[in-house]
Amino acid sequence: MTQVPHSQSAPRIVEEESARADFYEFMSGLLAHPPSDLLLNNIGSLDPAEGEIGSAIETLKRLAARADSQSASREFHDLFIGVGRGELMPFGSYYMTGFLNEKPLAKLRQDMMTLRIEREQNVYEPEDNIATLFEIMAGLIRGRFGEPASVAMQRDFFNRHVAPWAHHFFSDLETAKNSVLYAPIGTLGRLFMEIEREAFRMEGVPS
Amino acid sequence: MPKKTEDRSERSRRDFLKLAVTAAPAAAAAAATGGEAEASVEAPSSLGMQKTEHVRKYLDSARF
Repeated sequence: MTQVPHSQSAPRIVEEESARADFYEFMSGLLAHPPSDLLLNNIGSLDPAEGEIGSAIETLKRLAARADSQSASREFHDLFIGVGRGELMPFGSYYMTGFLNEKPLAKLRQDMMTLRIEREQNVYEPEDNIATLFEIMAGLIRGRFGEPASVAMQRDFFNRHVAPWAHHFFSDLETAKNSVLYAPIGTLGRLFMEIEREAFRMEGVPS
Repeated sequence: MPKKTEDRSERSRRDFLKLAVTAAPAAAAAAATGGEAEASVEAPSSLGMQKTEHVRKYLDSARF
């Protein structure tokens, strides 16, 4: 493991795993800030496949074609920022305990220290934001924090910090009053969480 | 850890993921690389967390 000659910037991972990382990053980007015109444009040119995910992408594509960065940003604001607060609170601690900055966040910070991940110095928001957690998942898969994390490590992180609430959050996003463009994004997230849960279950490493 | 069992479960995981994720969102990935690429290359060892403006605004208003 340590004999890998100075690894290139992107460690080699198999195609399915990198598709997962892509998906996490895609979702993370949409949940961290409103999509730019460029991103909306790119979404508009997607070529969705068959199946549930494909049809959610089809819907997203249609809505993206009609949206622009301004309308998307208004929707994002209403959903996640709001006046005082947005319609939804995309934080693990909030979903798991009803409050921000509770024990789940402390546990997450501990695990991030163990994994030697830290937030950048000029970022002050709690790390249990869904966008951040997805960014961490992608980083673990790709090996952005050192070696690519084993599936067992990914699974443990997922089970502790993502699985307990993300599915619930995405269901809320699907049906939120203010969701238009973000409704199919909620569907995508929910489906993806189901896939991840199922795939980690298959992995078969005893915990 | 019995190697054989792991190989088998690893294979079914890969097959499953192949069916489930690879087909559709390969395209989604293409869409995502629009503006994200530079951000994620910047800080390989620390987490290049995206500046989630909504959170910051929220926290400002909540005085955390």
